[in-house]
Amino acid sequence: MPDFMPFFVSGLATASTYVLSAVGIVVLYRASGVVNFSQGALGALAAFISWSIVERGGPEPVAWLAGVLVSTSLAFLYGRALAPRLAFSDPVMRAVATLGVALILLGVMGYVWGELPRRLRLPTDTMSFELIGVRVTATRAIAFALAVLSTVAVMAFLAGSRLGLQMRALANNRDLSALLGVPVLRADGYAWIISGALAGVSGILLADLQRLSGQTLTFAVIPAISAAVIGRFSSLPATVAGGVAIGVCEALLTPVPVVGPFRTAVPFVFSVVALLWMQRKSTFVYR
Amino acid sequence: MSDVTDETLTYSLPVDSRKVRLKWLMTALVAVGAVYVLSDAMSNYWLRTFISAAALAIGSLSVSVLFAQLGMVSLAQFALLGVGGWFALRVSHGLGVPFELAILAGGVAAAAFGLVVGLPALRMRGLYLAIITLMMAGAIQVLISAFGFPDGGAGILGKSTGARVMMARPFLAQTDEAYFRYVAVVLVLCYGLVLLHVRGRPGRAWAMIRRSEVCALAGGVHIVAYKVWAFALAGFLAGVAGGLLAGGVGQLDGSAFPASQSIMLFALTIVGGAYSWMGPLIAGLMLRAFPALLNDFHVDGNIATIVFGAGLLHALMTAPKGIAGQLQDAAKALRAKFPGKPGAAR
Repeated sequence: MPDFMPFFVSGLATASTYVLSAVGIVVLYRASGVVNFSQGALGALAAFISWSIVERGGPEPVAWLAGVLVSTSLAFLYGRALAPRLAFSDPVMRAVATLGVALILLGVMGYVWGELPRRLRLPTDTMSFELIGVRVTATRAIAFALAVLSTVAVMAFLAGSRLGLQMRALANNRDLSALLGVPVLRADGYAWIISGALAGVSGILLADLQRLSGQTLTFAVIPAISAAVIGRFSSLPATVAGGVAIGVCEALLTPVPVVGPFRTAVPFVFSVVALLWMQRKSTFVYR
Repeated sequence: MSDVTDETLTYSLPVDSRKVRLKWLMTALVAVGAVYVLSDAMSNYWLRTFISAAALAIGSLSVSVLFAQLGMVSLAQFALLGVGGWFALRVSHGLGVPFELAILAGGVAAAAFGLVVGLPALRMRGLYLAIITLMMAGAIQVLISAFGFPDGGAGILGKSTGARVMMARPFLAQTDEAYFRYVAVVLVLCYGLVLLHVRGRPGRAWAMIRRSEVCALAGGVHIVAYKVWAFALAGFLAGVAGGLLAGGVGQLDGSAFPASQSIMLFALTIVGGAYSWMGPLIAGLMLRAFPALLNDFHVDGNIATIVFGAGLLHALMTAPKGIAGQLQDAAKALRAKFPGKPGAAR
């Protein structure tokens, strides 16, 4: 029996990055009706930009800020300039369009940085403390804290602020809210900003915890989307629970002999089970 | 002499000759001619590029069937190509069956695999199918890179420890030139299979579902069954394409089936034009010939990815019928501008 405790701790940290990303996806979907498949690619870009600035000798806080700023502004630009052109098409088409963004970002990252094995180093990697017999690096603790903080902040924002109220109204019924004077584009824009910022933070943390690779980070959107599926793209607590479960399961399977190599299929299994669970009552929804 | 009737006089053509347009006949003749001339004129590198382009056109056809007929978005078709290739290689090495049987086995296996995995999502709204198939593409990538492709070894996985054995090519097509013609014929057969479906009962049901699911339900169309049918047909086509790809090179590379390729295949089908017969051909060419062309000019292959992504955005926003639709519009505009002789115009 291998010692699972270290894997549990590292799984919690990875899970936190999934949660950050998934919360961004759910907030964006609720407000604007777009499932953003490019969430991972935006995070990857943020990580690459931070890495480049640090490589050139730039100060680290500036590098992280610049990365998050780029992912946020790109998300905002897409949400403001391109997404409205698809506002009246099918939800699938609006989701698929973000795949175009992901492909463009993948190509740019492959062209500029290539697929060399790299890792983004954060200064918090060397700091650590003991917790119930396991060494926890500060980066992992920070990732976990950020996930908790941002989820709570987003929930408080949606529940308490006027903009959050508008977003919830949009999530309920877009046409009616527009009729009642909810500024649709403004609320959409803020949703894109929130999700872009969360994507950037999540990407930088994941580039440190795993590795800095365009392909890997871009497809880190899969566990995040899976978490969002578990939350049915509406419930934040369920999304957080799903993200944590996926990340921890992936990590706990690492030392298990036979299934270990297939642990990246965990999000897939989780979302299939979630879909089956949603169908337990035979309700058919037709549009 | 009187009891021998001239059979040729009473025999009528199975197709009404007036309905077969000269245009289509000419297109077919030109295509056959092009395949023959091209296969002899091309260098080995380009011949292999065109072989995989033709195989990927079948893969793209599978995407376009789902998208154009039912508006279903499957992001796992390239991964299913890998599944089909795996089974085709396994059957070919393990049982030594003829090539045709091996690719049929690949097709059936890919269809079954896709169905089992896609079934929970097929009962839900379209968005969930896109999500589940994206994850399926990721999961298949993991499976393929863990197992690798069979190359003549023993055991279930068929991994040989020594020299890699190449997949046997069809008896009729041992050389690259002949194999290119062979793939072209299979491509035509696949188009025929799709046409048969679209013109037949499933096509009518698909059209009704596409128009309105509520109406289709009221009209007694079993929606889930026909969606499953379409998904199985698409899986079969993808599997056949995978088998052809494996036959072209003789083996498959375990790292050649990442999830991003599935996304690319979908994007290019939309860019090429999912609603037209030309679309999958354009998509196959862009997926293989365009990067090869860039390679010839020593341009980074990542540029192709950027172009494809931008093309997808452009197609979704302004040209939903893709390049094929724009070509057809251009042809129509030309015909309107130059009507030609009044007798010649249709």
